[in-house]
Amino acid sequence: MSKKFLEIKNVDFNIGGKAKVKNASFEIENEGETICILGPSGIGKTTILRTIAGLEKIDKGSITLNDKLLSSKIEHIEPEHRNISLAFQDNSLFPHYTVERNILLGAEKNKEKKTQKISLKEIIKLLDISKILSKYPHEISAGEAQRASLARSLLTQPDLLLLDEPLSNVDQSFKEEIQVALKKILSKLKITTIVVTHDSYEAFYLGNKCAIILNGQIKQFDSPYNVYHFPNSIEVVNFLNRGVLVPAEVTSPKSLVNEDLGTITGNFIKPFPIGSKVKLLIQPEDLQHDDTSNLKLEVVDRKFRGTSFIYTLKTLSNMLIPVFVHSHHIHQHEVDEKFGIKRPINIDHIVCF
Amino acid sequence: MYSKKINFWFLSSLLISIVVAIPIITVFTSFFEDTSNYYQILKDTFLFEYIFNSFTLLVCVLILTFILGTSSAYLVSFYTFPFSNFFKWALILSFAVPPYIYAYSLTAFFENYGTLYSILKNLFGTGDYNQHIPKFDGFIGAVLSLSFSLFAYVYILSRASFLYQSQNLIDLGRNLGFSKLKSFYSLILPAARPAIVTGLSLVAMETLAEFGAVDFFSINTLTTGIYNSWITFDDLAFSNRISFFLLIFIFALFILENLSRKKARYHSNTKGGFKQKEKIQLSGIKAFNSFFICLIIFFLSFLFPLSQMLYWTLKFPENLFDLKILTLTLNTIYLVFLSSLVLILFSLISNYGNRVSKNKFLNILSTLSISGYAIPGVILAVAFITFIAWFDENIIQALGFFSIKKMFIGSILGLVLVYFVRFYSLAFNGIKSGYEKINISVDESSYLLGYSKQKTFMNIHVPYLRNSLLFVVILISLEIIRELPITLILRPFNFETFATTAYISASEDLLEAAAAPALFLILIATICIIISSKYILRENE
Repeated sequence: MSKKFLEIKNVDFNIGGKAKVKNASFEIENEGETICILGPSGIGKTTILRTIAGLEKIDKGSITLNDKLLSSKIEHIEPEHRNISLAFQDNSLFPHYTVERNILLGAEKNKEKKTQKISLKEIIKLLDISKILSKYPHEISAGEAQRASLARSLLTQPDLLLLDEPLSNVDQSFKEEIQVALKKILSKLKITTIVVTHDSYEAFYLGNKCAIILNGQIKQFDSPYNVYHFPNSIEVVNFLNRGVLVPAEVTSPKSLVNEDLGTITGNFIKPFPIGSKVKLLIQPEDLQHDDTSNLKLEVVDRKFRGTSFIYTLKTLSNMLIPVFVHSHHIHQHEVDEKFGIKRPINIDHIVCF
Repeated sequence: MYSKKINFWFLSSLLISIVVAIPIITVFTSFFEDTSNYYQILKDTFLFEYIFNSFTLLVCVLILTFILGTSSAYLVSFYTFPFSNFFKWALILSFAVPPYIYAYSLTAFFENYGTLYSILKNLFGTGDYNQHIPKFDGFIGAVLSLSFSLFAYVYILSRASFLYQSQNLIDLGRNLGFSKLKSFYSLILPAARPAIVTGLSLVAMETLAEFGAVDFFSINTLTTGIYNSWITFDDLAFSNRISFFLLIFIFALFILENLSRKKARYHSNTKGGFKQKEKIQLSGIKAFNSFFICLIIFFLSFLFPLSQMLYWTLKFPENLFDLKILTLTLNTIYLVFLSSLVLILFSLISNYGNRVSKNKFLNILSTLSISGYAIPGVILAVAFITFIAWFDENIIQALGFFSIKKMFIGSILGLVLVYFVRFYSLAFNGIKSGYEKINISVDESSYLLGYSKQKTFMNIHVPYLRNSLLFVVILISLEIIRELPITLILRPFNFETFATTAYISASEDLLEAAAAPALFLILIATICIIISSKYILRENE
């Protein structure tokens, strides 16, 4: 059996005596990898981080980091004795110290380490916090506080870095820039990281793997590509909200039929017996626009997403289907107009439930 | 499971709760004890008078403090006029004048051949002015003394509430076509209602607890009844019975105050939708009227008693020379130092225990422990003596030990213990409000940075709480300097403070001699208020 860097085995994550996530198991194979935990608010994502950091105890399962048992029913290493850093979602800077002093506390913890993988200057530059160094936490914005807190955590050079919604308060215009910087730092420092977020795009960008938590359980733990394209349950599809499920009947090992869309061909992710009644996942990218097609559906809504439009089309049986079209497309359709769908419909990977 | 919960924090909080609960339990158990016939006589005669007077006094003081407090708070919160920034903090200086000193000033000014008579004589020559000068003594005097001394509670809380009212609320009123007056009573006042109720509840508790002023004006209220039945008739049991009635009043108010406090921040600065209010610049007659109203309130509540005491101190300088200023100051510092030390130590332990142990029962104990501030000083002192006498007789001496009465009654130790019960809520809440500003994730970050619990406490909490601790010490000083009944009843023989010296002179009809200690008391209290005004007015929030 290969050695795992972090191993969470059958853990019940509790807070205040209540189990938030039950019997959870996942691991980080190699040092330096980043995994993201995705799930709706209040589901227990933060509880997982707090437990790994040692701020909450467990009474079932085990947490092992680099072959060292951190938590189990009988073992609990105190947070100050784990080299794990947690950057909180809310402002956790020491209120009576300046931002600079707060960040330096991270470096102080790390002073005994011989190799400094990154300097204070570099971190300040990458996270763009030079202007707030002399300020006190109450004088800076929530987004700036998050970045300062992130800088402090990074400077500790922990064995494991835990980031709780690290960019939730950062302005949208600045968010992408910080995401790029963060990914660069994590990769440079080879810091193993767990990021909690409810933003699936952030998770897909930062994580080598993503864990989807729903209804108190880890529903899927896989690469971002697989989570998006091969969701393993209807709950994951509904959570990601990137497509709709339509009724269909399997007609061959490579095709199925829907009463409104007709025959759809492609490769099944999971085989189904011919004649099975299934629910087929249709994502916005699966159908293509074609004005010359004889399969016309009514436009009921159009959302402008910058680089694209997402049309919502109504079928004869009143199903609503999303279709992606580039915003530079030659002409746009208005609500109530007819919208052609290219036939025959071929979906690269067919996901059915 | 239980063994985990019973730890150092739990035991400390339990100890504090027991100390605070002793006077309450003593009063309640004493209610059912036998007493002399005096009780029967009083029940049929004076008890009704005590209750009636206390209630009437309460209603009058509440009406007057409401008018004074909300009107002045409204003016300084919503408008800019000459000296509005000065009045903003000057109006809280009335706290420096306890009701009994206000009562001395009122009497000194309006009495026959008093200060007003002298002024008129100097201006217009000798005349029969005495019969035309109104006499603000008796019931009216008590109402005025209490109202001008206590209105600042309503002022501070309504101002804080007005301050955090969003401009949106005012814009809404304008949009609906309301006049300024209609906006005030139909939008602004209702939004500030919880804060005003809290302020009025504090005024009510202080009024019911007041001893010095009502005693000076010879008004028979429940507090003077408690004191007199103990001092004059030496009947501790009856004293405790009257305390029982007063506590019922107080508890009703305490519950009301707590209920309103829970809602007190519903209009406060919340994320989104809050727009900082812009003050309206007044000019002409409106500016003058606003200035004049604030000036009158400031003059009557602070300058008037201060100048009256100053005038008499200068007029009768021999009293000043007789006053043992150094001894009185050292006595006050001694009491403040010891009380602050004990109060801060236990408040820190209790607050820190609540923070780290997350034990609900511990939280309940802490909440019970702060109820001491609602209990009038007279009750606390009398109940404390009752308890010590009982404990000494039934436990200590029964076990064959020497009496401990002298150790607690008429001693600094007893005085500090009762101050502890009375002022614990000040210290506890002062430190608690400091702690509330430190997010719990700050502690957790500290642990994750490798700090132990002790190091977190010393390196993170204590430096951050420094201002709160200073504020608590100032508040305790202010209370102890002004405090009268507890000190009067429990102080060691020949141990005086400015408050007791002034009271003793006044009770011997030597108002001129009361002026010098009263003046010192006002000056020291004023300094305390000026230092802490930033916190009292919540300017830093």
